[in-house]
Amino acid sequence: MADDDVPTEWLRAVLPLAVLAVVAEEETYGYAVAQRLQAGGLGAVKGGTLYPVLNRLEAEGLLTSSWREGVGGPGRKFFAVTTAGRDHLDRRSAAWHTFTERAGGLLPDPRSAR
Amino acid sequence: MSTSVTDVWQQRLVAALRARRVPAERIGEVLAEVDSHVAETGEDPTEAFGTPREYAASLTHEHRRDRPALLVLEALSGAAAGWFVAVGAVTLLRGGEFAGMPWWVLVPLGLLLGVPGGLRIAGRARQVRDPRTGAPLTPTPRRALVTITGTLLALALVVAGIAVALT
Repeated sequence: MADDDVPTEWLRAVLPLAVLAVVAEEETYGYAVAQRLQAGGLGAVKGGTLYPVLNRLEAEGLLTSSWREGVGGPGRKFFAVTTAGRDHLDRRSAAWHTFTERAGGLLPDPRSAR
Repeated sequence: MSTSVTDVWQQRLVAALRARRVPAERIGEVLAEVDSHVAETGEDPTEAFGTPREYAASLTHEHRRDRPALLVLEALSGAAAGWFVAVGAVTLLRGGEFAGMPWWVLVPLGLLLGVPGGLRIAGRARQVRDPRTGAPLTPTPRRALVTITGTLLALALVVAGIAVALT
């Protein structure tokens, strides 16, 4: 699973794709995305990191957003994936897996004791 | 509703975003996102989003600051506009012409030069509204605009008065 000291650069690299993947699972809002990322082992992602990513994905046409009435609280901004977002997610996920496999092949595996 | 700490933080964020020439609609969206997140999590805005300036900077990669040349051009055209209107006003009051131009050429020329700057200021002074309710989120900037315009007009009258008194 996720190691405790994952460099922030790694998180920064994978965050847009991970956020897109979470929104692609189901229409959701900022705080729920943060909770899902944490449950997925990526650690606590602060609002100041998350919302600019969501906004950038929306600006790129990969997500759409709409405000909905909250239950007894302020409204929530829900994000949904677009067709372009789903295509992007599929392509980039495949590329990511290829990339991590190649990188993994170059790195020593601590689990295979010699 | 928001606490006073959040209010101060949000007003600073509005100022930081305005300084970066972010459109009013976008500022409203950003504020509502912060407000919604803070209300839901109970977090302190600084803890969740950093300082207003830092957060504004992280949001505005797409909204580049204006190039210095543009700011200089804007200041110069504003100054030229004011100068032509003032000289036109003095020419009107004293009669005659300035550099071969009568007041009815000088004043419209000044106003014309002031149009781009005026439009930019009007655009910047647009009300920030909450996208959830449509309610205004900031004290009306129009009041500031009226105050500035009033002060400039009063100043122009004083200058014209002095010019007339001196002749």
